[in-house]
Amino acid sequence: MKIRLTQLTRNRRGQAILTEQTLQSDPFRIGRGADCKLHLPDPRIALHHATIGLSDDANGFIEAAAGTIKIDGHFERFMRLKTGQKIRIGPFEIVVLLTPPSHDLALSVELIEPLKDDLADVRANLRTGLSGTWLSKRALSWITAWTVLLIFLIWPVMNALDSHEREANAKRSIPPDASWNPGALASAHHSFGRDCAQCHDTPFVQTQNAQCESCHKSIGWHFALNTKEAKALHESVFMQSADASRCASCHRDHKGPLGLVRQDSPLCTQCHADLKTRHPETSLPNVADFDHDHPAFKLSLLMPGKIGKDAVLRLAQDSPIIETSNLKFPHDIHLAPKGLRGPNGKVTMDCKNCHVPDEEGIRFKPTAMKQHCQDCHSLEFEPKASHRQVPHGNVAEVMTTLNEFYAQAALADTPIDVVVQDGVRRPGVRPMTAQRQSALAWATQKAQTTGRELMEDRVCFTCHEISKVSDTENKIQSPSWKIAPVAITQHWLPKSRFSHSKHNTHECSSCHQVQTSKVSGDIAIPDISKCRECHGGNATAVDKAPGTCETCHGFHVGGPKSGTPVLLPGGLPYDPKHKAAQKVVGIYPPSKSALHP
Amino acid sequence: MRHRTFLEYQRYRHLKLATALTLAAIVVYAWFSSPVGRYGGTLTGYALGTIGALLIVWLMWLGIQKRRYRANANGLKGWVSAHIYLGTSLIVITTLHTGFQVGWNVHTLAYVLMLVVIFSGFFGVYVYLRLPRLMTENMGEDTLDSVILKIADVDQDIRRVAMAMPDDVTRMAEASIQRTRIGGGVLAQFRDQPAACPTRQAVGFLEEAGKTLKGDDQQRNHELYSLMLRKKKLVARARTDIRFKAALTLWLYIHVPISFALLAALSAHIISVFFYW
Repeated sequence: MKIRLTQLTRNRRGQAILTEQTLQSDPFRIGRGADCKLHLPDPRIALHHATIGLSDDANGFIEAAAGTIKIDGHFERFMRLKTGQKIRIGPFEIVVLLTPPSHDLALSVELIEPLKDDLADVRANLRTGLSGTWLSKRALSWITAWTVLLIFLIWPVMNALDSHEREANAKRSIPPDASWNPGALASAHHSFGRDCAQCHDTPFVQTQNAQCESCHKSIGWHFALNTKEAKALHESVFMQSADASRCASCHRDHKGPLGLVRQDSPLCTQCHADLKTRHPETSLPNVADFDHDHPAFKLSLLMPGKIGKDAVLRLAQDSPIIETSNLKFPHDIHLAPKGLRGPNGKVTMDCKNCHVPDEEGIRFKPTAMKQHCQDCHSLEFEPKASHRQVPHGNVAEVMTTLNEFYAQAALADTPIDVVVQDGVRRPGVRPMTAQRQSALAWATQKAQTTGRELMEDRVCFTCHEISKVSDTENKIQSPSWKIAPVAITQHWLPKSRFSHSKHNTHECSSCHQVQTSKVSGDIAIPDISKCRECHGGNATAVDKAPGTCETCHGFHVGGPKSGTPVLLPGGLPYDPKHKAAQKVVGIYPPSKSALHP
Repeated sequence: MRHRTFLEYQRYRHLKLATALTLAAIVVYAWFSSPVGRYGGTLTGYALGTIGALLIVWLMWLGIQKRRYRANANGLKGWVSAHIYLGTSLIVITTLHTGFQVGWNVHTLAYVLMLVVIFSGFFGVYVYLRLPRLMTENMGEDTLDSVILKIADVDQDIRRVAMAMPDDVTRMAEASIQRTRIGGGVLAQFRDQPAACPTRQAVGFLEEAGKTLKGDDQQRNHELYSLMLRKKKLVARARTDIRFKAALTLWLYIHVPISFALLAALSAHIISVFFYW
């Protein structure tokens, strides 16, 4: 088989260069292999790619071997060759030419897809550096910055500037300005919900007192502004700057449930540590620290029978104090561990038999004769009529009761004390005048004797201080004894906010040592050293409970600006003229007219 | 003279400056206790916040402007040193500014973003101190370009040798030459050994084939196998180099965008505090 082969190559300018040769072989193998007649040295060509042969009728054909052949755009395994046919073998194109005489076949071969440069191959598959990827610092920066700005600045500002929108959004669970909230509100302010404008109503302006006072109408200043001097002092101390007089300069919200009230001592001690230098006219002592620089407690003792200013005597506990309550009460007998003889047998008493906490758990309900004493301390006066008692009132009432009782006894059918004078009395017969007078005289005498017993030996005398006011030997009808007015102090430290319920983990006796107290004049209120056993001072102590000024005292204890009176830390204002105050501190009796004669 | 890193610039001048600033912040925080507690809204809080905000803005400004220092390597080194040390001191200054009070709000968001920026910066310092040595160990005298040229040379030899070998071997060699990817997308740049690397597959194939061949075939196979092995090593080095280079810059894709998010959050923080004063 004789084939005329034209190899076509191109120079740099693309011009074709033809090389012709005649090859003779049967069969005519095409491939990369050295044994192939049409040797195509290219890795894309198989070792033995295809074979060209002559059929019996002397027509040429091509048959694929290890490689593929593509004729006129179609893959074929076998094809008869026709003039003008284009055959693709890998990167080569073979064209069937017009067969010249003396040849069996004429072909041209051209490499139409040369191999890329090796370096180009490597570079094509090379991508280095993150800047060549989708990652972009610039794009990411824009996205993150604008996201933050939109959510955390633009949205809340737009919301805050539109009052309608703001009010509507305040009801949402997460309003636009929620992200601005630096911390939880004080517990009482939780009722504002998420409406920031309740306090922050003007942008870039600090919260003003007006916002606080719209609710806190009756808040008091530090002291009552009832005199010109007090007002001047108030102005000079608390009103010297806009910031000093601003509620929020002390009361910072968003500090949690208890964060709104300053607990630090310097709030007070910045003035009170050196108050006497600042204000020489003051009667208050200097106080710097509860731990070591706090004066002895001043007890407020209720003065029996006094009213107005004199009703309360304030005495410092730095020297012995004897209380004058005018009531005889030995704690030791009542609290005797072996018990007491009661009307129904033995009774063992403890504190709570008489001292019942009040509803607030701060102090105790007043002790009362009827509830706490009378079960044992019966007011019986006549052993033969044990069901009768004198009233727990004044001397006149007692004497009236006695007179009436014995007169009734003397004039009734059955005298209790059968003393018959001037003959025998018969039943159903009205006594003679003389008899009646005689009986009355007996009754009066009996009442007087019994009265004297009650006032001087037993019953009334057991508890009360009673003095004789006139000679009782002669027939004096009017009361002849004076029972000293009783004053039981209910609130010993009215300027403190001591709460018994907060201390009820301790035994009463750990503070009040009354088991050995023999007289009611003993003071059972512990002094400051007792408090210091557990409470520290200004500095937070590791092993002590807080002992800052705020622990016991308040700041806003002065007169109210308007409206209702301000509450003192311990209760109502300590004004003895005030009716409610008299009840609280237990001033008894409440008015002069009701005093014992 | 020993090579000094950016951390040692001018005998730790910026370290000293940052330490002084940090200590001053701690002293001020400890000394001035406000009666209303320690937080960003006190005088001390405002002072620390102002210093922190100015530092953040200044460090970012330097970051943007640093290209100007390119001509002067020393200037760049000084900037990096200041950036690292003063940036680190921000952790203390801003933590004290918060008064250790954090919550789910824009204020803590700014603080957290700042911490992310700083700690991503720490990672940057770590890679800048550690990777260059590893990169040198990996590349030796070579550069990535020279390794690529070497690979191209080996490819040429592979092609030459494979030409006389069976078709499947030639195909495999050709696949190695044309489809061995080096680098690529974000994830690919961090992969030393892609799942289907034609060069690695070719090495495995040739190793197996070598066991059964004899004579000339075996010799040719061995020659190709050696070439392929050499290529595999070169490719691995190139890939490792690319991975290191990507690691050197990846942290910046957190550091820079979060810096801008921080700038936005800082603005929101400051404006919101005074908007609702």
